[in-house]
Amino acid sequence: MTPGIAADSPVGRLRQVELRRHWRQLNAESRWGVVILAVILVLSVSVPLLSPNDPYGFVDQPLQPPSAAFLFGTDHLGRDLLVRVFAAARLDIALAILGVSVPIVIGTFIGTLAGTTRNRVAETVWDGLVNALTAFPEIILVLGIVAMVGADIRGLLIAIWISRWAQYARIARAKSLALRDAEFVQAAQVLGYSQLRILVRHIMPNVFSEALAYALSDFIFIIVIIGGLSFLGLGVTPPTPEWGAMLAEGRLYLRTEPWLILFPGFFLSLTAIGVALLARGLERISKGEDE
Amino acid sequence: MTSSPGGIDARALRLLRHPVLRRLAQAFFVAFLLMVFAFLLIRLIPGDPAMILLGDEATEEDVIAYRKLLGIDGSIPSQFGRYVSNLVRGDFGVSIRSREPVLSIVGKRLPVSLWLTVTTIVMTIGLALPLGVAAALYRRTWFGHAFQIGASVLVATPVFFSGLLLILLFAVQVNLAPIAGYHAGFPANLYYLWLPALTINCVLVPVLSRILQSSIVETSSEEFVEAAIIRGTQGWRFYWRYLLRPSLAPTIAALGYFAATVVSYAVIIEIIFNLPGLGMTLVDAVRNRDYPLVQGIVFLSGLLVVGLTFMADLVNGWLDPRAKIR
Repeated sequence: MTPGIAADSPVGRLRQVELRRHWRQLNAESRWGVVILAVILVLSVSVPLLSPNDPYGFVDQPLQPPSAAFLFGTDHLGRDLLVRVFAAARLDIALAILGVSVPIVIGTFIGTLAGTTRNRVAETVWDGLVNALTAFPEIILVLGIVAMVGADIRGLLIAIWISRWAQYARIARAKSLALRDAEFVQAAQVLGYSQLRILVRHIMPNVFSEALAYALSDFIFIIVIIGGLSFLGLGVTPPTPEWGAMLAEGRLYLRTEPWLILFPGFFLSLTAIGVALLARGLERISKGEDE
Repeated sequence: MTSSPGGIDARALRLLRHPVLRRLAQAFFVAFLLMVFAFLLIRLIPGDPAMILLGDEATEEDVIAYRKLLGIDGSIPSQFGRYVSNLVRGDFGVSIRSREPVLSIVGKRLPVSLWLTVTTIVMTIGLALPLGVAAALYRRTWFGHAFQIGASVLVATPVFFSGLLLILLFAVQVNLAPIAGYHAGFPANLYYLWLPALTINCVLVPVLSRILQSSIVETSSEEFVEAAIIRGTQGWRFYWRYLLRPSLAPTIAALGYFAATVVSYAVIIEIIFNLPGLGMTLVDAVRNRDYPLVQGIVFLSGLLVVGLTFMADLVNGWLDPRAKIR
């Protein structure tokens, strides 16, 4: 609920009704996705807030197994693993959202631009460009850019932005190719609107819904890349709590203290599964396969 | 690509327009652009790369020598000209760390990565084919539902987590695989490769068998399948020729598409399982700021994917006449 609008005010009640209607439109898959993601989000905010322990603080002997005092045990330095896992959730999800949001805007804009041009040469060059950029194995391209820009959070985000926009551009171009001759675009042209206005106000909003659908599956990929590079020690680095970095640390104690990898890995996978369920559910709804 | 060159007779012209040739020309164009990207990569470095590598106390001569080593002396067009002509002659530059030619480093490390890729793909086919067929035939039973759920969970599990879980299961609990390491030489190396390959397949098999499943379901409603049934075609011939073979095309195309993903994940897998392949070389190079080595590996991996995609296209055309390269 938006702050400032009371639940029993007319606007608040309208919101509730609308929320319930949206919920009813979902199928089982997407509902599970929403529930999983909501639980993780709530835990990632509340656990670090409510716990007396700090994600960076040393609280007990290192490598304690899970117990009543420390639900997930303690890590190799004696920090509370529970707090660290959910502090990591916050960081990972925030980084992944940041990682998705820039390419979606840039890619959609460039793709729409490319889709509405009628220049043959530009089209051929465009095809080659996007094919070439997407030919690089994703993680290797990200690694290459990180090598140049710097192996930290900033370098990681820049690498994701540079390497991920092409997919959105590809989707946007395909969609806007179909739209450029649509009647409402012709109408806008007859009305004498500028090219830029038609592009941004009339074509891009229609392209955007498709890009958003792809963004959900891209989110999974980006959260894996963030975790993967941090796992390799080339993204988020210790002591910052991050799932991939925690897996890399815990990996050394695999034989004797497996919970060090089980908890961060489980919640990383669960997040990805939640998004995947939501994406699949929404896809099936839009295809009209369910309910 | 289809401009009419004067003086060439009609048959040669037709050959020029041949779809395979056109795809090849396209692949070369993409390869050229890969080269441009790899060239531009080193320009992402904020500041002077030579200064970054040498530090503030470097002498003027050292900086000039390093710029030459990195190929960043002279004007940009002349740099690019030199870069391209060197690449064409097989000169990918020299590793800053070991002063060894990039290509010879790659040559030494490539076999491990190739063995990993081949083992992975053989395992993929061995697992995805029966799973996809079974999931299509029994899609309305409990097996079909279990398949869907299992596939969703596996696809969303990052390889660096599933890899650790598999080590925990197969190397720590039961002694079926080494925790890490590698020994060259077939077939002894398979002992070190099967678990890494299985890890990559935790992502690959669910995706591909799902594609195969939906493709078989789609094929089975085609008219030529009905016609074959009416003609009384039975047994293996029916399954292979009328059901499986026409359904394979999208799967093979996807395998080509996922070649990039396999090569990608192999990097992380090589680190987890301590396999001395190209991925480990790349990660070391990134850590050491060995710019020419990074540049070379990024370019070559892109080239590899372009080649694999091209091959997948060719196999596709052979498998399914409907999907012939246009």
